[in-house]
Amino acid sequence: MTFAPSIALQARIEKLISHYPRDRKRAAALWLCHLVQGEAGCLGTEQVEWIANQLDVPSIDIHELVSFYPMFSADSQGKFHLKVCRSISCSLAGCGRLVAALKEKLGIEVGETTADGLFHLSEFECLADCGAAPVAMVNDEHYGNLAPQSLLALIDELKAGDSKPALLPPLRKAHPKEKRLLLADLPEDAQPESLAAYRARGGYQALKKALGMTPAEVIDEVKKSGLRGRGGAGFPTGMKWSFVDKKSGKPVYLICNGDESEPGTFKDRVLLHQRPHLLLEGLAISAHAVGAHTAYIYVRGEFPKAVEILEGAIEQARANHLLGRDILGTGLDLEVYLHRGAGAYICGEETGLIESLEGKRAYPRIKPPFPAVSGLFACPTVVNNVETLCNIPMIIEQGGAWFSQLGVTGSTGTRMLCVSGRVKRPGYFEFEQGSLTLRELIFDVCGGLEEGRTLKGVIPGGTSMPILLPDQLDIRLDFDSIQKAGSLAGSGGIVVLDDQCDTVETTLNVAQFYAHESCGQCTPCREGTLWMEKVLHRIHRGRGRPEDVPLLLDIANNIDGKTICPLGEAAAWPVRALVTKYRAEFEQACAPGKAEQA
Amino acid sequence: MSTVSLTIDDQQVVATPGTNLVEAAKLAGVEVPHYCYHARLSVAGNCRMCLVSVGMPKRAPDGSFVRNAEGKPEIGYLPKLQIGCATTVAEGMVVKTRSPEVVKARQGVMEFLLINHPLDCPICDQAGECRLQEFATDYGRGESRFVELKVHKPKEVSLGPKVVLDNERCILCSRCERFMREVAKQDCLGFVKRGSKTELSCYPGNEPKTNYDLNIVDICPVGALTSRDFRFRMRPWFLKETRSVCPGCATGCNTTVWSRDREVFRLTPRDNDDVNQSWMCDYGRLNYRFINDPKRLRTPLLLTASQEQEPAAWDKALARTVSLLQGRDPQTIAIVGSARASTEELFLLRRLARKLGVTRLDSVMREAEGDGFLLSRDRNPNLRGATLMGIAAQPPGSRLNEIAEAIANGSVKVLFVLGEDVSRAGISSELLQTLEGLIVIDILPNATTAAAHVVLPGVSYAEKAGTFINERNRLQRFEAAVEPPGEARPEWMLLLGLLKALAEPGVASNFSELFRQLVAEFPELGVASFVQVGEQGVVLSAAAADAGPKSLPAPREGEHRAS
Repeated sequence: MTFAPSIALQARIEKLISHYPRDRKRAAALWLCHLVQGEAGCLGTEQVEWIANQLDVPSIDIHELVSFYPMFSADSQGKFHLKVCRSISCSLAGCGRLVAALKEKLGIEVGETTADGLFHLSEFECLADCGAAPVAMVNDEHYGNLAPQSLLALIDELKAGDSKPALLPPLRKAHPKEKRLLLADLPEDAQPESLAAYRARGGYQALKKALGMTPAEVIDEVKKSGLRGRGGAGFPTGMKWSFVDKKSGKPVYLICNGDESEPGTFKDRVLLHQRPHLLLEGLAISAHAVGAHTAYIYVRGEFPKAVEILEGAIEQARANHLLGRDILGTGLDLEVYLHRGAGAYICGEETGLIESLEGKRAYPRIKPPFPAVSGLFACPTVVNNVETLCNIPMIIEQGGAWFSQLGVTGSTGTRMLCVSGRVKRPGYFEFEQGSLTLRELIFDVCGGLEEGRTLKGVIPGGTSMPILLPDQLDIRLDFDSIQKAGSLAGSGGIVVLDDQCDTVETTLNVAQFYAHESCGQCTPCREGTLWMEKVLHRIHRGRGRPEDVPLLLDIANNIDGKTICPLGEAAAWPVRALVTKYRAEFEQACAPGKAEQA
Repeated sequence: MSTVSLTIDDQQVVATPGTNLVEAAKLAGVEVPHYCYHARLSVAGNCRMCLVSVGMPKRAPDGSFVRNAEGKPEIGYLPKLQIGCATTVAEGMVVKTRSPEVVKARQGVMEFLLINHPLDCPICDQAGECRLQEFATDYGRGESRFVELKVHKPKEVSLGPKVVLDNERCILCSRCERFMREVAKQDCLGFVKRGSKTELSCYPGNEPKTNYDLNIVDICPVGALTSRDFRFRMRPWFLKETRSVCPGCATGCNTTVWSRDREVFRLTPRDNDDVNQSWMCDYGRLNYRFINDPKRLRTPLLLTASQEQEPAAWDKALARTVSLLQGRDPQTIAIVGSARASTEELFLLRRLARKLGVTRLDSVMREAEGDGFLLSRDRNPNLRGATLMGIAAQPPGSRLNEIAEAIANGSVKVLFVLGEDVSRAGISSELLQTLEGLIVIDILPNATTAAAHVVLPGVSYAEKAGTFINERNRLQRFEAAVEPPGEARPEWMLLLGLLKALAEPGVASNFSELFRQLVAEFPELGVASFVQVGEQGVVLSAAAADAGPKSLPAPREGEHRAS
């Protein structure tokens, strides 16, 4: 038996393969895996071999992807694949109860399929909708703000063939402290902004202006703006662009990193789903600046609707000469293609993303060489975050100087912050950088904690960033202030913990995430992350030993700074910070005799 | 700038630009431990064992060095340790490979590598030559801090017909994967799953199946990949290592013969940049069992009046040989000398021919498909030597038919064979039966030895010293690894005995003298002694490389008939 695709699928696949250089067909591997799995229900031997054959690669090259990317499976995942998010914010919001309810109702364990083949239950790492925690996906549909009852009702609806997915939680009215530029005039119905609507508020004017400027002038303007990358590392964008090797004679690639997956982070979700043209305009201007004629938007696998939305937007933009050949009659060409990820956090790391875009396991590369010299397909490449690119049009339109006046020195412009965890009003917001303190964010904007609770700590930039204690609430929210406080602004994902949070359980949840997401390439991260998880698991089960506390710190230190990519630090920092800052709790959990009692 | 100066552990090192720090440290005699790095493969940088501290001289805004109170340049160290394998030398760089910070990092990596590694050294075939064991001695802890359950993975997985994989022992260094893709050119290995659960795998139906698969066993730093041929047969620490050269083809891959007592257990490649890099082919590697063959010829055999071969003492066998050769019209004698014989033996065969005045000589060609890499089309290891010594006809093997015809028509009555079963080279057993004299030196019985009047037991290349000249005119030496069986003698030794018995003047009394005589007559070999051939061999002088074969000189007056 060999896999036989439908005619429509075959045509789609041929088109997708054409989006990559002819000698780099393998790059289409993730796409083909998604599509073939969509049609066949699994990626078994015959599907793997068929895909390998389409891409002229040995079967092992496809086989090794199936078990790397959590969204792929060699076995059938039922008619409805229930993916319950288990990362920190959903955990704090009680996702465990959702899983328990599903297990009971369906009579299956996690990882199993019901006898009738209808439901398969999985726990997934962060689905990037932490403000609507707990969340789950059913196949490609996304559901937020779930409770056991509503989820069980959903099961019945699914059986009856009638369910109502919700892509995004509703956007609240702007808080007076907010300054909405990226989120300005966002349609309240959570629908994507149309080209007409975008144009009506001045969309694509910046592109027109930029195309009248030289690339160097565009880069200069962005440098002047002081814009720093919004993905996590905060590297100055204009400087990153200026590193591109334009003399290599090779094509330059621009990649939009839309693989937002750091737990607690869900800012790019709204931009990808609702601001497609803002992103495309930012992408087109940036491509002009760096000399790229091909751009890829790497969209995380858990955002299938964003792919559809962006596909439509690209078609519209092409039809209106805003993308494609001879943009706005200027003679400039830019093709924008979508690349769909498949559920691996490591793809957020730019060289891991590049490997994944090339159709491989997302093993981060050794640097140097940096992507600006040798990136995608060994060509000079720039990788920019979604939010970063969305800032570009306004910088060009209103000038770098104008932008640099927003915010504070070193942290210009606005920043999207997403708040989740134990606050009354979680969600995503946009503020002028440094314009408010952490205290104001939590207690004014987000309504504070539930009655009777006290604050335990705040993770300020996605779970990889060291936690801040209640006595650090008065720091301003900008890159440098957060760094001075001993943490980093990271991805803008703020997770609030109250006194009801079990520190060991929270630490275990975070450690489990990084152990699950470690690609396995380099020793310290591969072995150290799982070791930390196992130790924490044991402590959580009540079998901690006094020596486990220094052991955890030592493991974290042995990972930190020793790995190929920053996932090592991302895994080590939170554990080290949590164990250090709540050491008494850990010591109590690991008190002498504890292990014997349990 | 053609060189770069840097400091490694307080030693000044001069290296060529582009040299990585693992290699540069070697120049200073410093070992930087590593697992994934292999000089002949792409850099993966995944094991993290080679982390070192790297600093550069600080520069003032005007570009000049910032100097400390003592006037020495101040060094700014990178905040993170760097992997030596992926860091290249730079002018003025300062590298520390033994600082407390580096040692701590190595200890950390070592511990990580061991937590999920089965500590099954007592039953692991790699024990004794395992890099994990070696570096654990330097950087391991006395006792494990790991009290959790280890990750379990598939064991005894078949990676093709020659290699067995134990995934629990694998440290995921990817050397094998890179080797198969980059050197063996079969993209067949990959990793499945991820994180700590990652496993090495091949796709069913696309197992390693090249002629180079067993190299991955050599380069596996741990006991994950073992050779089906060698595993569980002998502990490596009982094995003696002897430098040798593969006799499988004209490439002459440098090898190590691993033996214990009289048995050869395995062959592995020995580094030689100009010949085989770090590799050898499986065809050559697995071609050693004949050495241990119980059927090996152990004593001279003489054909008795009742037409049976019976063991005989060496002096009797040599006497019979002399009687068969001496006093004969040299035109009635033919000699076939194997291109598998050593240069020294072929040299002695040349002298024998000259002594007797024999002009009908040849070798046997062995040709099969080459692979354009290490396996040569020419499967003789010393055809160049046989040609240089004038034993091989031009083209080699072209006179075998003539010799066969001469036997058939009775003009050749005595055949002297060194190391060939000529019945498989156009001189049939039936023809051999018609000879008045058939003298055969060989190591295993075959149709030719079966027809011989005199069988002289020789030895394999692993039981004697000698040289081969490979197809690129490199003279390479091999040494004796094991004792020959029974009374078998190195061919050079018994040929010396024969020449002495034939009253050849100036016969060498030992191997060193023999070699000196060889190079005296063939100065193009470019060395003065066997020792000078060295571990990596020497390339023959251009004259020798370019020159055609030397024809045998005409016998000197009165010499063509041995008296």
